[in-house]
Amino acid sequence: MASVLFGMTNPSESQPVIALRDVTKTYPSPAGAFTALANVNLTIDRGEFVAVVGQSGSGKSTLLNLLAGIDRPTTGEVMVGGTAVHALSERAKSQWRGRAVGIVFQFFQLLPTLTAVENVMLPMDFCGTWPGRERKGRALALLKRLGVADQANKLPATLSGGQQQRVAVARALANAPAVLLADEPTGNLDSRTSEAMMDVLAGLVREGQTIVMVTHEQAVIQHASRTVTLVDGRIHA
Amino acid sequence: MLDPRWRKVLRDLWLHKSRTVLVVLAIAAGIAGAGAVLNTWALVRRVTREQYLASNPASATLFTDSIGAGLLARVRALPEVREVQARRTVFGSARVQGGWSTAVLFAMDNYSANKIGMVKPETGTWPPADGALVIERSSLAFSGASVGEPLSVLVGNGEPLALPVTGIARDVGLAPGWMEHVVYAFVTPATLARLGAPSTLGELQILVRDASLDREAIRRVAYDVKAAIEGTGRRVTNVDVPEPGRHVHADQMDSLLYTQGAFGLLALFLSGFLVVNLISAMLAGQVKEIGIMKAIGASPKQLAGMYLGLALVLGLLASALALPVAAFIGREYAELKAELLNFDLTGTAIPFWVIALQGVVGALLPVAAAGLPVAYGCRITVSEALRDLGLTGGQTASWGLLTRVSGPARPLLLSLRNAFRRRQRMALTLLALATGGAVYLGALNLRTSIRGSVDLLYRPMRFELVLRFTRSWPADSVEAALKVTPGVSGAEAWSSAVAAVAHEDGTLGDAFSITAPPAGSKLLAYEAISGRWLEPGDSNALVISRGLLRDEPGLVVGREVTLVVGGRPTTWTVVGVVAGGPGTSAFGPRETVSRLAGDGRVAGAVVATEIAGPALQLEWIGWVRGEMESAGFAVQSTQLLSEGRRVMEDHLLMVADFLGVMAWLMIVVGGLGLASTMSLAVLERTREIGVLRAIGARHRAILTMVQVEGLVIAVLSWAVAIPLSVPMSVLLGQAFGRIMLPVPVSLAPEMTGVMLWLGLVVAVSVVACAWPAFRATRITTAAALAYE
Repeated sequence: MASVLFGMTNPSESQPVIALRDVTKTYPSPAGAFTALANVNLTIDRGEFVAVVGQSGSGKSTLLNLLAGIDRPTTGEVMVGGTAVHALSERAKSQWRGRAVGIVFQFFQLLPTLTAVENVMLPMDFCGTWPGRERKGRALALLKRLGVADQANKLPATLSGGQQQRVAVARALANAPAVLLADEPTGNLDSRTSEAMMDVLAGLVREGQTIVMVTHEQAVIQHASRTVTLVDGRIHA
Repeated sequence: MLDPRWRKVLRDLWLHKSRTVLVVLAIAAGIAGAGAVLNTWALVRRVTREQYLASNPASATLFTDSIGAGLLARVRALPEVREVQARRTVFGSARVQGGWSTAVLFAMDNYSANKIGMVKPETGTWPPADGALVIERSSLAFSGASVGEPLSVLVGNGEPLALPVTGIARDVGLAPGWMEHVVYAFVTPATLARLGAPSTLGELQILVRDASLDREAIRRVAYDVKAAIEGTGRRVTNVDVPEPGRHVHADQMDSLLYTQGAFGLLALFLSGFLVVNLISAMLAGQVKEIGIMKAIGASPKQLAGMYLGLALVLGLLASALALPVAAFIGREYAELKAELLNFDLTGTAIPFWVIALQGVVGALLPVAAAGLPVAYGCRITVSEALRDLGLTGGQTASWGLLTRVSGPARPLLLSLRNAFRRRQRMALTLLALATGGAVYLGALNLRTSIRGSVDLLYRPMRFELVLRFTRSWPADSVEAALKVTPGVSGAEAWSSAVAAVAHEDGTLGDAFSITAPPAGSKLLAYEAISGRWLEPGDSNALVISRGLLRDEPGLVVGREVTLVVGGRPTTWTVVGVVAGGPGTSAFGPRETVSRLAGDGRVAGAVVATEIAGPALQLEWIGWVRGEMESAGFAVQSTQLLSEGRRVMEDHLLMVADFLGVMAWLMIVVGGLGLASTMSLAVLERTREIGVLRAIGARHRAILTMVQVEGLVIAVLSWAVAIPLSVPMSVLLGQAFGRIMLPVPVSLAPEMTGVMLWLGLVVAVSVVACAWPAFRATRITTAAALAYE
């Protein structure tokens, strides 16, 4: 059971890396229950670059939160990397999340008192995925891969938006997760920097990374290999 | 190389260095206060053991007729006796600052063989030569004497003699001469003879062989010695057995230190509140960061470890600051205490275990205080943390009440409501400050109670002057001579004696004095707590003090008791109990006591006058003395009752002040807490301050708002301290009662004290809020509105 829960059996290449089955998420509100997602069925294969699009309030962020284990579905199943995320306890989710998914936030969310390289090392510290003496080297390599190695020892406040987002992507890749989840990764960047960021993500996909990205920007969508459109909490065919 | 997690912890502390400093200072104040008292206790305890025990204090002293070598040998041969020596103590007068003060002269046959209550020479010659004095060190300053200069001494009927002071010595068994206003000196029997005093040695001091014996066992040995003495045909008039190994003031010192230590721990505990505030605020401000860390894989345990580690760093910083301060204050205070006990503080190395204990407690207290907020804060889920929009929450149930308050201008209303935004934080800050205020008011109440008790103690004494004569006289002639002296409105001749209760098992109780006014005395009138006061016609009626009843519970009203007075057993009836002061004492009819004490004569008198004012009274005393001496009554000493009262009050108030010092410690901790709370408040409302600036608030308005918010908390703590001071007054009163004497506790604080506390807390608030208010005025609108 634990191996299924934690996905320690390697799913075969043919199995989807993400599978949502009849997922519904409702939130209580003073005006009655609000359904953010209704009977969503979705599979995403390894190496896909999926853009989740929709109007504000369509359920995009809710979908991403469910994939990251940040929220729990009201009904249905959420499988990520072979793990039944919906069945994990809060404590187990923390442990799973650090290894299985990497999250890129719209507002970067780097820890302000840590340098770029230290921010990238932090997930490795929490999860113990790499031996201590290898962590800095790996972090520098990730920063180099994303073109910000020269910013390694700088605090986030001294970096531009684009540089911060690249560091955030490096952090998300720190534990070599099966899936990268990006919530409006270009939402806080200008158009030129956004384009550069999308090139970075496309490059990762070419290397085999699976990416699920929430966005509402058309210019960004065209980089994705597939688009999933949400309308009022349902996938619009 | 440090893990990024721990670098984040250290950098977070550095980022918020001003409030980190405040909390570290508050914790350090608590550690320093409690640690100083602990250090003092350790140092004084060591010096007491080393010096007092090393002096071989007498296990018992027996008062008898002349002691010769034969008797000494006989007693020394007893198997339970390790050592024996003889000495004499004579009371006289010494010329001090133009007047006469009490002198106590000790004489031994052979100072070289002094093995009990060993006297340690310090400068000059030792032992004293015939016709010379060696002054006890603690009397030196009071006596004004110096080595090489003469000091006039007078004993009994003799003429005053100017005896050269040839040395200084120390006797750690004596209470300090400067405190007792007594000149202690060591002389030879030949010097006593020259002074006209009895020179035969009449005090037999023994050391028991078995050092582990308790007081009762030693008393049994002392009575064996008594039997041996009486076997030679001598009379034993008194047997004194002190508590073994305990200096006469040691219990008081211990009680004082324990009480101060308790308050020090309370201050430390209160500083823990500040840690709760800081950590809670830090966690509240880092909700998003906690969410992010959880999103990238941190477990609640890992997060808790980080923030508890932060608390540990605070504790280590505070300990590093506090330990040297505590050591310094502890040594200074220990020196003062040692001086009060008449010891030298040799060796100021504080035992390692004492320092280690302070370090461990100081380091771990913030960790313990942070436990609950960290456990609570780290439980937040990722979704809650990332949904949290941060800064301006904190709506409380009290909003309803506060929104109904109208009238004050909006800025003032804003300050009032802001003070209640973080109720838990406000409550902890308020409690810390209010506790300090409660101890402050309690200490003021204690001072009032002490003054009231001293008033009560002296109220029955309706005279101003006490005279002691060099020899005894018929009571009528003394009174007749005094009554015709100008300025005298009343005079009575009094007698006194030393007595001890004879127990059924043949042992004697501790000695106490019987003061004997004439029948129907108009100058001494106690109100009896139970039974009655002395009445005309009483012969063997005894009125005892509360202190004597505590030591001799068998002395109940109506019971017949046997007292040994002047070596002879006599029967008395206890007729009443009175307050009677801190010591053990009793009162009996003059006619009976003077007959028992000797020849039916008196050696003392009390005098009333209507002359007021210390200067005039001093002049009048000289006049009375002159008149009496002209009439043939040589005066040994005089004492103004007001002087005695002042000395007693000063001693008692000194102890109250030592207790009151702890109030200041707690007020400092409370003030630092308020400063920390207001710093946090300004930080959390940075955006709000920016908005206020954008709509027209100027520097002064921002400054006033912050100060007023602080004042709201301060005034609330003032109000809370008032009822809190009632149990605090009781606690302080009980502590004082253990240290010195029971005092009726004044529970309701006086208006003066309440207003003083208000002034103090307002001042503390203004000072504590000054820096946060200044910081608030430095926030620019643009920076504030960009603040996330």
